[in-house]
Amino acid sequence: MRTHKNRFTVLGLLALGALVGLMAYTQQAKPLDPFEEAMRQRQMYLETFGILPGELFAEEGKELFFRKGPSGKTLEECDFGKGKGVLEGVYAILPKYFLDSRRVEDLESRVYTCMQTVQGFKPAEIERDEVKAITTYIASFSSKAKIQVAPKHPAELAMYNLGRELWYTRAGARDMSCAVCHDQYAGQRVRLSPVRSPKQGLGNEWPAYRFEEDKLYTMEDRINFCYESIAIPKPEFYSDVHIALTLYMLAEAAKAGHSFEELPFFTR
Amino acid sequence: MKRLAVMVAGLVLLGLGLSQVSPFRARLEAVLHQGGHEFAQVMLSQDKGQALCSQYRDKLPADLIPGFLAEQKALIKYPQSGKLLGDWKNGEKVFTDPKRGNCYACHAGVASEVAHGTMGPPLTDYGQRGTLEAVVRYTYEKIYNAWAYVPCSLMYRGGVHGLFTPEETADLVAFLLDPNSPINRR
Repeated sequence: MRTHKNRFTVLGLLALGALVGLMAYTQQAKPLDPFEEAMRQRQMYLETFGILPGELFAEEGKELFFRKGPSGKTLEECDFGKGKGVLEGVYAILPKYFLDSRRVEDLESRVYTCMQTVQGFKPAEIERDEVKAITTYIASFSSKAKIQVAPKHPAELAMYNLGRELWYTRAGARDMSCAVCHDQYAGQRVRLSPVRSPKQGLGNEWPAYRFEEDKLYTMEDRINFCYESIAIPKPEFYSDVHIALTLYMLAEAAKAGHSFEELPFFTR
Repeated sequence: MKRLAVMVAGLVLLGLGLSQVSPFRARLEAVLHQGGHEFAQVMLSQDKGQALCSQYRDKLPADLIPGFLAEQKALIKYPQSGKLLGDWKNGEKVFTDPKRGNCYACHAGVASEVAHGTMGPPLTDYGQRGTLEAVVRYTYEKIYNAWAYVPCSLMYRGGVHGLFTPEETADLVAFLLDPNSPINRR
């Protein structure tokens, strides 16, 4: 409980800092480069508080990782892709096929699965914020790692193809798809936000703390944010929609030789 | 009798075979349903144009283009008054509103607005084109249904989807073409 309280105090201060920063940012006559601005904010947080907001989520995730579930087990008993208890570099190889669940899973759905099958939680007992924190903790072991997502298993290849199909699906009242912005117009901006393609490394920055929102976003959160902004209702968490799209994007980023950013990342 | 039965059975099997969706399509639909009811409903109710653009990855084969353009053109509705040049002041509201025009997401507009996207061509000084009937009509139709001119363009069909009415489309035209509009004045 104490860490929670501390976290909220620090987060409150950080939010205040973000607000001041944001005001200064929007008062500018010329638009600033959003990534440069994020780096400036990051530096300010480090100098003022000595810690980044993302690290607080990872700390919370660590506690939850070592918490015993109803079965008496912690998440140390879960195989995240490189065997039980191995966290180093696992985020860089996900999504992948897991024999025990007979499913291709990204890190978030894998955490969700293991909290049920290993730890004995019921789905209704699993809070989204807990999964986000645990995901952030595990992803921090792949900070700056080379992306190594390469579909091989037939289930992974099928999931990659489904992800590509979703990527090109134009739907909703704005006639949008992922591809029409993120391939055809990669390098351009939507309002002030630069848009990247998977070949330019799209997806290599999550989980990240977004200072404009004062929230932590995982890859699934970010996919949902995209769908909402193109007038398509966001898909439910841990669905194959997220897993297929993530597999497609990260496989393309891997082919182009990209690495993850510092994880958890700090961004606008 | 026996031959008839065999023929009927054959026809039934043929019909069943033709009515089945491909295994890939079936799997895709299952994935969409996993995303939840509302998500699946929107993703599965593509109109013909959206389905074609998805199928051909936004690059339609040449032989499909004339038919596509004609079908899109037929979706355009016009104001009852027949006036395609409306009120630029209301047009600016629709242009700026993220839920209606949302035009700044991709286009530069009034020169003082710096928070604009760069995916579409800048619209600053659009009124230099003048207000000949052909310019007004093209501008109206392009805004109402961009796909009537460029199949599968990123610019979406705001009028077709009811994001703005025919009258509001005419107001957007005025915002772009009226010499008094801030788009054309610095």
